[in-house]
Amino acid sequence: MTVEFILFTQLTAIDLRLTSDILKLDWPYVEERIERFIKDYVRRSGAFGVVLGLSGGVDSSTAAALSSIAIGGDKVLGLILPEGETYDPADVQNAKLVADRFGFRAEVIDITPVLNAFYKALPIFDSSDKISKGNVKVRTRAACIYYYANKLNMIVCGSSDKSEVMLGYFTKWGDIAADIAPLMDLYKTQVRQLALHIGVPPEVALRPSTPALWPGQTAKEELGLDYDVLDLILYGLERFMRVDEIAEQLGLSVEVVESVKRRWLTREHKRRMPLTVKLEYRTIGADFRLPYTLP
Amino acid sequence: MRGINVALAQIDCEVGDKESNVEKMKAIVKEATKRGAQLVIFPELSTTGYVIRDLVYELAELVPGPSTSLMEEEAKGCRAYVIFGIPERSERVEGVIYNTAVLLGPDGYIGKYRKLYLPTHGVFEEKRYFRPGGDVSVFDTPLGRLGLMICYDIFFPEVSRLMRLRGAQLIVCISASPAGRREFFEVLTAARAIENNAFLAYVNLVGIEDGLEFWGGSRLINPIGGLVVKAKYDEEDLLIGQVDYADLERASIAVPTVRDLRADLLRRLSEASEVL
Repeated sequence: MTVEFILFTQLTAIDLRLTSDILKLDWPYVEERIERFIKDYVRRSGAFGVVLGLSGGVDSSTAAALSSIAIGGDKVLGLILPEGETYDPADVQNAKLVADRFGFRAEVIDITPVLNAFYKALPIFDSSDKISKGNVKVRTRAACIYYYANKLNMIVCGSSDKSEVMLGYFTKWGDIAADIAPLMDLYKTQVRQLALHIGVPPEVALRPSTPALWPGQTAKEELGLDYDVLDLILYGLERFMRVDEIAEQLGLSVEVVESVKRRWLTREHKRRMPLTVKLEYRTIGADFRLPYTLP
Repeated sequence: MRGINVALAQIDCEVGDKESNVEKMKAIVKEATKRGAQLVIFPELSTTGYVIRDLVYELAELVPGPSTSLMEEEAKGCRAYVIFGIPERSERVEGVIYNTAVLLGPDGYIGKYRKLYLPTHGVFEEKRYFRPGGDVSVFDTPLGRLGLMICYDIFFPEVSRLMRLRGAQLIVCISASPAGRREFFEVLTAARAIENNAFLAYVNLVGIEDGLEFWGGSRLINPIGGLVVKAKYDEEDLLIGQVDYADLERASIAVPTVRDLRADLLRRLSEASEVL
């Protein structure tokens, strides 16, 4: 009789050499765990299935594909929600390609008329303010997705990844809005690896990321670094490494790593319930501690 | 008694729903004893599920108390020994709760063990809710001398050591261990058996609670660290393994880890751990 010993996973890794190897996980195991999580949550919630926004990018494609494998394509609905200003036929094509490959339904809804009505209704609307305008697009998509969720008794499966959420690189109450976020403990480059593992086409899995708030926007340009580097910085911060250690290992200046750390820490307000004043016995977001769901 | 049949009842609990969890456990006691089990072991906090957080204040109950009584009926009816986990309310002081393992037998309630080491790091927040117990527990039963521990206790060799020195032949560790901790338990369960020349039964939860995926993998380990039986990962399972106490002597002749124990070092250990 022998005892089986298995290799220690990254979860408990303490030997920190910041190379891309450190972000490799046991992808079949990760896939299995995420699929079990989606299946279990859908079953316990009593929902018919999941609805997701599909951008044609790696995160939403991977979340949708995993959902489809987990609960069956007939219970997954992908909403492709293009709008005139950032419309790229390749995005729609990629989203449809993923839907076909993983056997779930996808619908295209042009949200341009909604956005135009929205802009027109706001007396202070300023088209040159790209961020404020872009956030309207993202929140409009969230509203559409939740309409389908309510109407069809589905839960909303988010596709935020750990890199974006740690950096606060998302729209508050926009693309982050979801009931579950099965990819949120994986960095962007890890999502890409998982995507390739499950068979998301490489042109989707490796396509450069964009939040598509305005035409031509890219994550790299805005964040100043590739996710290959950002993810290693974030990985080091997650494991309590000092800024100077990270900078030295990655051959970066301390200022660059410090700015990523600062970005992470100053965006906590985007990751929590709104802050309130502690007035009473138990306070929402402060000391109410309850299970996420109950049977 | 020479050989006993031990059932590892690896279950998925409904969070906060004592009624359904107790019903499920009763049915499993029935099934396990039908299959020949004499001792049926359930995971940590099996009456309530693990991630109950503030609900613990309404779910905790006296031991013996209502849930214990329901389980006692089944133990009596099936002539079985049963171990399960429960949040226990102190009978003396309001607001004091323990993370407790209960032992029942064919004649009803036998005793309980209160978890000594309460993990409060990472995703664990047990010290926020529970008071630690004060001592290890070993029960002399017709099925042998049983030592009870709970989950994180296994990281501390003194717990099983003290049980063994008080005579425990079968160390029972009930657990709610989420994925990511599996490697630790797979090593430590074997280590605790080997270093104490004792059998060890480890019973873990399965299912997902608040994103924590409990990995199962319950097992019965012999006194040289070998697997007697091992349950599935991640799914409910009910396995019966045999403990033959005759192996204890053979193991302790082969690797006499208890005979060779140095009390002088333990005294020094105690002194050295006073201040860190």
